[in-house]
Amino acid sequence: MFFAVTVGDWLGEVENWVFAVLAIAMVYAAIRVVTTKNVVHAALFLVIALGGSAAIFLLLGAEFVAWTVVMVYIGAVIVLFLFGIMITRAPLGYETKLSHPRRVRIGAALASGALFLLIGGAMLDAFGDDPVPAAIDPTRTSDIGQSIFERFVIPFEVVSFVLLAALIGGIVIARQDPTVEEEEVLQ
Amino acid sequence: MNILDYHALLPELLLAATVIAVLVVDLLPVRKAWVAVVGLIGLFASFIPLLTLGLCDSLSFCEETGVRTMFDGSYTVDTFSLVLKGLFIGAAFVALLMSVGYLESGRFWEGEYYFLLLASVLGAVVMASSRGLITIFVALELVTGPTFLMAGWRKGDARSNEAALKYFIVGVLSASVLLFGMSLVYGVTGELTFPGIREAIVGAELGSPGFKDLPLLNIGVLFVLLGFGFKIAAVPFHFWTPDTYEGAPTPVTAYLSVVSKTAGFVGLLVISYSAFADLRNIWGPAVWILAATSMTLGNLTALRQTNIVRMLGYSSIAQGGFILAPFGAAVASGATGAQLEDAFFATVTYLIIYAFMNLGAFAVVIAGAKRIGSVEISDWGGLYQYAPGLAGLTLVFFFSLAGIPPFAGWFAKLVMFSALISMDNAWTNVLAVIAVVNSVIAFVYYSKVVKSVWFDPVPEDVLSGEARNVVVSPALKLALGITAIGVIAIGFYPPLAANLGEMTKTFVAGF
Repeated sequence: MFFAVTVGDWLGEVENWVFAVLAIAMVYAAIRVVTTKNVVHAALFLVIALGGSAAIFLLLGAEFVAWTVVMVYIGAVIVLFLFGIMITRAPLGYETKLSHPRRVRIGAALASGALFLLIGGAMLDAFGDDPVPAAIDPTRTSDIGQSIFERFVIPFEVVSFVLLAALIGGIVIARQDPTVEEEEVLQ
Repeated sequence: MNILDYHALLPELLLAATVIAVLVVDLLPVRKAWVAVVGLIGLFASFIPLLTLGLCDSLSFCEETGVRTMFDGSYTVDTFSLVLKGLFIGAAFVALLMSVGYLESGRFWEGEYYFLLLASVLGAVVMASSRGLITIFVALELVTGPTFLMAGWRKGDARSNEAALKYFIVGVLSASVLLFGMSLVYGVTGELTFPGIREAIVGAELGSPGFKDLPLLNIGVLFVLLGFGFKIAAVPFHFWTPDTYEGAPTPVTAYLSVVSKTAGFVGLLVISYSAFADLRNIWGPAVWILAATSMTLGNLTALRQTNIVRMLGYSSIAQGGFILAPFGAAVASGATGAQLEDAFFATVTYLIIYAFMNLGAFAVVIAGAKRIGSVEISDWGGLYQYAPGLAGLTLVFFFSLAGIPPFAGWFAKLVMFSALISMDNAWTNVLAVIAVVNSVIAFVYYSKVVKSVWFDPVPEDVLSGEARNVVVSPALKLALGITAIGVIAIGFYPPLAANLGEMTKTFVAGF
């Protein structure tokens, strides 16, 4: 029922091979992000996982989204992670104190496995043998810009306030408070 | 290209302008209290267009009337959203008043605090009008984002840091669960707006089955519910609440337990009643369970607390259960028409009254903590002897929370019970019994505080301190006054709140 498309058809399409390679790389990288004991390695594995998602967006013809993922996530967020690790002088090596005891890890693995089966099963049930529409026109960037400033202008403006609030609040929380003496000098 | 309906968006625009104005005034070499004044004026100003929009029918300059739908149905200004916006702005006004004295008395960053608080209110106001997945998610982020930072505002205090970090991690987790659920719903239906999702679920064309029975959609709906469950601190997603409420600065706790929580409720109500209306059989029982467990666990744990802030934290979890009760029961029992309208009315009315009494209770705690220097209930003994006014207000707000006439709380409980009983079937009757038992339990711990304040002797160490001469700041007095008048006025003349609740009924009229 789920796999009405024959294996031969599946193998014949180049896109499927590309997708398979990307998917395996992403799953491996995603698992390593949580299993590796080195924070820096985790951040670097995240690069692979995010790069894979960008490539899948490219496959679907969503160029703008793909390059946004590359620039924002890989270019900015991961670099920030690494800077954050460096600036806070977090231990760079293998960190064993952060690890949970074995029974917690087994419990977490079981829970996530069950959730994976549940969602995966439901996904197959919903979309099982639906083919991805073959000829999708690449989404034009100008269309995206248009809809951001027309239909989605409210979320767009609200997001800018979220960022402003995060920026200002982040500075307040992170900066060192002046001591009482310094404050008196300032005034 | 359409021109925006500026009248409908005026509250949001004024509030956004206030947020920026607060930042600018903070730069000027003036006392920080002026920043708060600008914020208060801005909140007041953005309240006015709510009135003109509400009374649009009878105003000469008002061209459009009725429900205003914008941005392809993803943003709607109707009576429901106007009432809730008014509630958010009013509650934020009181929360801001409560913060002024608190911040001045310690070493805090003041201007930035007011900025964050107002930005969060802006999110709540947008939330009330959101009728689309993206808009509602982004609005929810703007409500909660600033509050993560505000919870950690007592930077030198380890408990405040813990409060902020716990709240942040749980908040991010719940946001991602919510977002994942939304992505599943979007993936199945292909629609972003709530009316569109509802149509897709039923199947717009005649004879098409729609997606009603699709497991993937049901998982998505449950994930969305779970995400909101964290936001409204419903049991079993409440574990972050006591620590965060206790560690955060008390005005922030008041804000969290009223504005931020109400925003979560509004999101839940809107998305369930408009987008997932036809999936009642999925989320109805889930909401029923959330209501029953929140009431019971919240109250039983509150009973054991000796710290008044923690007690109020658990009590607000329990109150959340009462708010959910008519909502969960109505949908679980498959009520229709007038019964659903009653349930919706009960929920909104309860929310309005809850805002007054809970803000008031926290204002009392701030004033009391300042005078007594402690938030342990035992230290509050004999407050009546040296601060009779505060003791009187303690009685007003705590008895109101317990639901004792003539204070507003009784009416909230009444509409909740009448909504439950009018439906008269197994689901609602069981929930009504649970609610009755819980009301009794709640009375025990609320009255414990009142008894301590009025009848217990003053503890030795509290007597000797100089704390008794501390003056309560005028802003806090104003906050206490507003909430006390609200609680007493609604208690004696319930239509004040009921009429507002009545107006929102139109939201479920087409259900």
